[in-house]
Amino acid sequence: MLTLSTGGAGCAGQGLPAPYSGRVSVAPVELEQPEVEESLLLDSGWVTIVWNDPVNLMSYVSYVFQTYFGYPESKAKKLMLDVHEKGRAVVSKGGREEMERDTEAMHEFGLWATFQRDR
Amino acid sequence: MGGPFKRTGDRVLVMLAAPERAVLAQLLADVRTMLSAEGPDDATAADGDPAPAPARERDPLADLVGVDDDWLAAVAAGAGREEEPLDERPASERFEDPAVARLLPDANREDPKVSAEFRRLTEAGLRSRKRATLDRAGAALRRPDPVVLDAGEAQALLKGLTDVRLVLAERLGLRTDQDAEMIHAVLSGMSDSEEPWVVMAGLYDELTWWQESLVRELPR
Repeated sequence: MLTLSTGGAGCAGQGLPAPYSGRVSVAPVELEQPEVEESLLLDSGWVTIVWNDPVNLMSYVSYVFQTYFGYPESKAKKLMLDVHEKGRAVVSKGGREEMERDTEAMHEFGLWATFQRDR
Repeated sequence: MGGPFKRTGDRVLVMLAAPERAVLAQLLADVRTMLSAEGPDDATAADGDPAPAPARERDPLADLVGVDDDWLAAVAAGAGREEEPLDERPASERFEDPAVARLLPDANREDPKVSAEFRRLTEAGLRSRKRATLDRAGAALRRPDPVVLDAGEAQALLKGLTDVRLVLAERLGLRTDQDAEMIHAVLSGMSDSEEPWVVMAGLYDELTWWQESLVRELPR
């Protein structure tokens, strides 16, 4: 998230070749930036965790990670094995609201999920 | 590969016999009832569907945007109780039935407040969507032969099978991976027993096999 937003601003800046950019000053961007970054800092740094349970099938857990998160089969399978063997796996990272959404979606699939601060 | 589900294009053919489908549809309906019985806010109220805000009139705007009654009730309940302290009990204490606690688990293990706040905002919606999913799967299974599921119905059935198996596992006392593996071994030794535990374990085992078949046939 952080990369995407600040990257966007950066690209716009870089897109204007300095010698020819007489029309728009960069000042508005700089003014907005601290605010954007602050909200991103407040919002990122959360994770969604899926915990092992004796009911959900390995094939089903992989299926959920592939279809909901859009992960490729290899990544979905690795995460599934982490859940199975280590008892838990971080399945997504991002802002709190996003992690809450993911957690709720996992509950809808019947997976045992929680969200918390990343550390 | 075998199993009672077979993919045909982007649809899934159900090869279960009508009586088997009827049993499964009934189990889905049973779990649906469990998800209605205990209101979002009160573990002790257990009389049918939680009454969605008695004297509230339908909001035409809500109708337009397709917001459902449960969601409105949740918002209304949330708005009305802002001054009341949050119920911070974990799911295990909040729900009399541990199977319901498993279907609607706590979303944060570190801070009961965060968990309770999340539950206040999302539980009614989650219950409502789970019920809709169970309904959709059950309705498809009740159609006459041959039953062919579209992609949405197939996923609804997959989720529904999960919820049914979660409930049965709770009743069977399955707590660990070892417990789950033990079921199969126990069954092979006493498949003709009529002990309730064994009968239920047999059902669980069968549903596991069905779900494995269905998930294998679904596109990613």
